Amino acid sequence: MTDLSSGPSQPSEPILTVSNLTQRVELGHESLTILQGVSLEIKRGESVAIVGRSGSGKTTLLGLLAGLDTPSEGEVVLEGKAVSRLSEDERAALRARRVGFVFQSFQLLPALSALENVMLPLELADFADPESRARELLERVGLGDRLTHTPRQLSGGEQQRVAIARAFACEPVILFADEPTGNLDNQTGQEIQELIMALNREQGTTLVMVTHDETLAARCERRLTIDAGHLETDQEVTA
Amino acid sequence: MSASRNLGSVARDWRQRDVRVVLSALVIAVATVAIIALFASQLQRTLITSASSFLAGDRQLEAEHGQPIPPEWREEARSRGLETARMVEFATMLSGGERFQLVSVKAVSDNYPLRGQVEYQPSPDGERQLLDQGPRPGEAWLNPRLMRLLELEVGDSVEIGNLTLEISGLLVREPDGGFNMTGLAPRVMIHADDVDATGVVQEGSRVEYINLFAGDEAALNAFHQWIEPRLEPSHEWESIRDGATLSESLDRAERFLLLGGSIAVLLASVAVAVASRQYAVGQRDTVALLKTLGLSGRRIGRMYLARLAVWGVVGMAGGLLVALPVYAFLNNLMEQVLEQDVPFVVDVPALAPALATALVSLFAFAYPPIRRLRDVPAMRVLRSQPGEPDGRAWTDIAIAVVAIFGLVWLYAREIMLVLALIGGLVALLGILAFLGWVLVMGLRRVTGGGNAWRLALVGLYRHRRSSLSQIAVFAMTLMLASTLVLVRSSLLADWQAQLPEQTPNHFLINIAPEAVDEVEAFWDERGQGLDTVYPMVRGRLTEINGEPVRQVVSKDDSVNALNRELNLTWMEDLPEDNRIVAGTWVNDQQQEGVSVEAELAAELGVEVGDVLGFTVGSDIIAEPITSIRTVQWESMKPNFYMAFPPGGALEGLPATWITSFYLPPSQKSALNDFTRQFPTVSLLEVDHIIERIQQIVRQVTQAIEAILALILAASLVVMAAVVSATLQDRQREGALLRTLGGQQSLLVRSTMLEFGLAGLLAGILGVLAAETAVWALQYRMFGGEFRWHWAVALPIPLISALVLALLGRWQLRPVLQVSPMLLLRRLE
Repeated sequence: MTDLSSGPSQPSEPILTVSNLTQRVELGHESLTILQGVSLEIKRGESVAIVGRSGSGKTTLLGLLAGLDTPSEGEVVLEGKAVSRLSEDERAALRARRVGFVFQSFQLLPALSALENVMLPLELADFADPESRARELLERVGLGDRLTHTPRQLSGGEQQRVAIARAFACEPVILFADEPTGNLDNQTGQEIQELIMALNREQGTTLVMVTHDETLAARCERRLTIDAGHLETDQEVTA
Repeated sequence: MSASRNLGSVARDWRQRDVRVVLSALVIAVATVAIIALFASQLQRTLITSASSFLAGDRQLEAEHGQPIPPEWREEARSRGLETARMVEFATMLSGGERFQLVSVKAVSDNYPLRGQVEYQPSPDGERQLLDQGPRPGEAWLNPRLMRLLELEVGDSVEIGNLTLEISGLLVREPDGGFNMTGLAPRVMIHADDVDATGVVQEGSRVEYINLFAGDEAALNAFHQWIEPRLEPSHEWESIRDGATLSESLDRAERFLLLGGSIAVLLASVAVAVASRQYAVGQRDTVALLKTLGLSGRRIGRMYLARLAVWGVVGMAGGLLVALPVYAFLNNLMEQVLEQDVPFVVDVPALAPALATALVSLFAFAYPPIRRLRDVPAMRVLRSQPGEPDGRAWTDIAIAVVAIFGLVWLYAREIMLVLALIGGLVALLGILAFLGWVLVMGLRRVTGGGNAWRLALVGLYRHRRSSLSQIAVFAMTLMLASTLVLVRSSLLADWQAQLPEQTPNHFLINIAPEAVDEVEAFWDERGQGLDTVYPMVRGRLTEINGEPVRQVVSKDDSVNALNRELNLTWMEDLPEDNRIVAGTWVNDQQQEGVSVEAELAAELGVEVGDVLGFTVGSDIIAEPITSIRTVQWESMKPNFYMAFPPGGALEGLPATWITSFYLPPSQKSALNDFTRQFPTVSLLEVDHIIERIQQIVRQVTQAIEAILALILAASLVVMAAVVSATLQDRQREGALLRTLGGQQSLLVRSTMLEFGLAGLLAGILGVLAAETAVWALQYRMFGGEFRWHWAVALPIPLISALVLALLGRWQLRPVLQVSPMLLLRRLE
C-alpha cells in the first residue's frame, strides 16, 4: 500500500528536474524537432504555467514531464527518479501514486458514470474504499447529486469537474493540466480555475499547467514561455 | 440528389471508420451468402448428375407389360430441348454354341446412356473401357458369365428369336444396372432397332418399354407437367429421388446445404446489423448539425436513405466481385476432388438471397435509429437529458428480426428450419436476459483494484450494455456455427452407419433348399461367411380381412407392392436393424401370424390384428398381423415386407433361399468357380452400386466440409467485426488507464480475462441454443434421434473464450505500443 498522504515537504526542494530535453519525431525520411534542449527545475508546491503559441511544443513538454512519453534526448527526474530510465510499468506505478492529470477534452470514459470515472484511479492504486472517497470528491467539486450520470448527460463544465475530482482522487504530489479551460466558456472556465486552485492549495499539490488563458497563467507563481521548441523565458510572476 | 454527387459522398464517407466497417460488412455479407448459394446450387447439380447415372438419364418413363411408349412423347421432349433415348427390356431364350439359356435382353437406342457410362470389354482378357453407347445394330454384348456358361467367344454368333447377331464384346456393367430381384437372368445388350426383327416381342408379351430423358431441370419439370395427364396407371415416371437409398442421402445433403445457406444469411445479417447500427448511433452529432443548419427532418431522412441505397449498391457490387473468383476457385477444387468436369455456371437466381440479405439488414438496422434522431430537437440530440433512455430500440429490433427471419424463410422455404433457428435464438435471448440480471445483481458490489480478476469483472459490469450485446452477437454466431457442426457430425455418422465397411455387395438368389448347406460350405472354405440365409416364397397380397385388396385400398396404383408378387419369408430372429413399432415379435412356440413392414402397413391402412390373405401359386393363406416393424431398405441386406414365424403358414410351400455377403475385390475370381459349381444359383453383383453410393456420400461429405469451413470463416469475420465496432472506445479506455497509472501487464491480463469471460459465457449460451435448434432440426428435418453432443458442446465455450481473449489482446496492441499521450490525442 502506498503512502498517499506524504506530508507537506520543503518548498525549496525540487520535485521535477529537466535537463537538456529534446524531442524529435521521424516523419518518413525527415526528422522534425519539436523540443530542443529544454532545461528547468520545478520546486515542490510551486504552480507553473507553460504558455506559447499553438504548435510550439507545450503539450509535448507536458507529456514528457509527466512520463507519458520518453524523450529523444535529455532527462526528466521526477521525485528523484529518472523517468526515462524507468520501465513502462515502473512509470505507470509512479503515475498511479504520485501524478494527476486534467485534459482539455476531459477524457472521461463515456460508458462509465461520474462516480465510476472517479473511482478508476483509486482502484488502480488499490485504494481501500474507492467508492466513498470518490463520492466525497464529487461532493467537493459540487456534483454530489450527479453521481450516476454518464458524461453524455453532463455539461462541459460538469465533465471537467468530474475530471478534476478524478485527478485529485489519489492525492497526487504533482498535477499536470493540459489547457483545462480550453474547451469551456469564460464563466465556466473561471469556476474551473477556482476549483483547481482551491484543491491545489488544500492538498499542497505541485501544479504544472499548459494554458492559453492569460488570467489562469497569471495566477501561477511561474510562467515558462515556449517558442518553436525552445524555452524562451522563465519568469517569476509577481502577483 | 444526383448519382454523381452521391458517389462523391460515398468517396467522402469512405474516410469515416464507421462507414468503412459498414461497407466491409456488406461486402462480406454479400460475398458469403453468394458463395454458399452458388456453391450449393452447383453441388446440387453435380450430385444429381452424378446420381442420375443410376437411371442412365435424369428421368425415366417406364411402361410395364404394356404398349410401346408413343414416339410423339419423345418428339415433344426433344422440342423442349431435352435429350431422349429408349430401351426395351424382355426375357427370352438365347441360343449359341448349340446351347440354350434364358437371358434378359436390354435393347438400347443410339444415344443410350444419357447419363453415366457403359463398361465394356472387347474380349474376356481385353481392357475394360467406358463407353457412351451400346452395341450397333446386328451386334450383341453378353454378360461375361453368360459367355462362360455358353462357352462362347467374341466373334461367335448367337440367335434371339429369328435374328442372328454377332458377339462384338462383353457387357461388364451398365450404369442403370440397379437390382431388381425378378430379372435375374444374365444380361444381353442389343440395339433397339433389332427388336422387331427378333419377332420375340409381340402384343401382350411380357416386356418393359423405357424412355430416358435428360436436360435442364426446369425443362424436365415442364415436360413432366405436360406428360402427367397423359400417363396411364401402368406408366411410371421416375427420378433419382424415387430410389430409396440415394434419395435419402441426397435429400439430407440438400437440407444441409439449405441449413448452411440460411445460417450464412443469418450471420451476414448479424454482421451488417452490428456495423450499420454502430454507424447510425454515431450519426447523432451529424444529424444535430444538419438540423442546426436548417435541414428539415424529412430531408435528412431522404438524404440518409439515398446514402444507404448507394452503399447498398456499392456493397453488393463489391460482394459479387469477391464472391465470383472464390466460387470459381471452389469450382476448380471440386473438379479436382470429384475427378469430373464441373462446368462454371453462375446461377443468377441463387444470388437473390445474398443481395436481399444485404439490403434488408442494412436498411432495417441503420435507418430506424436515424429516423428516430430525425424527430428529436437538435439540442436534445446534442446532449441527452438525464433519465432519458439512450436508445429505445425494441421496436427497431423487432422489425429487424422479423425482416431477417422473413429472409431466411424466403431462402429456405422450410418453416421448420426457420422455427428451429428462431427457437434456438429465443432460448439464447432468454438465457441472456437472465444472465444480464445476474451480471447486474452479482457484480454490482465488486470494485476494481490492482487485481486483474476484479478489474475484468468490473469491466464486464461497467460495460454491461455493450458486454451483453457483444455476448449476444458472439453467442448467436457460435450458435449458428455449432448448429452446423452438430448437424454435420450426426449426418456423417448416419451415412457411415448406413453403408459401413464390408457392406454386403453380392446376393445369392434362387438357392435350392437342398443346396443351402453346400453353398454355405463353399464360401466358408474361402473365408467369406454368408449373412443370414432366408427362405423366399413368392406370393401376392390379395385380401385384407377377407375383402379383396383392390376394393379395400382405393388408390391401388399408388401402392407398388400390390402390383407385383412379394417375397414372403419366415424368420426366427428379428434382423438387427429392424425395429418393432407395434405388436410383438413371435416367440418360439407361436406359429401363426405375420409381421408387416411399417410403411406398407400405413399405405394399406392395416393394424395389428387385421388379417392378410396371400395367394401363393394355387394356395391361399390368411394370417393375422402380429407385429409391424421398420426395415432399413438401404442396408444392402435381404429385406422383406412380410415375415412369418418358422413353421408358420409358409411351411411346406415351395421356397428358394436368398442371402448376401461381402466379397473383397481381390476375391472376385472365386465367383467363376461358384457359377460353375452352382449354375442354377443366381448371383447379383451390387459391388459397383455400393461403390458408387459410397463415392457420392464421399462427395457430399466433402461438400459439407467445404460449406462448414466457409461458415466458420464467416463467423470469425463477424466476431472480429463486432470487436472492432467498439475498438476505438476500448483503445481510449486503455490509453486512459495507462495514463492513470495502470500497468501494462495488469491491463493485458484484465482485458484478456474480460474478453475470455465474455467468450466463455457466449460459448455456453451458443452451445445451449445450438442444442435447442438441433433438437428441433433433428426431430423434424433430418429424422435422427436427439442426444447431447458432449464432444462438441464442451470444447466450444473454451475455444470461444480463447479466441475472444486473443481478439481482446489484439485490439489492445496499439495501446501498449504507442505512448498513451499520442494515443489519447489520436483518438480525440
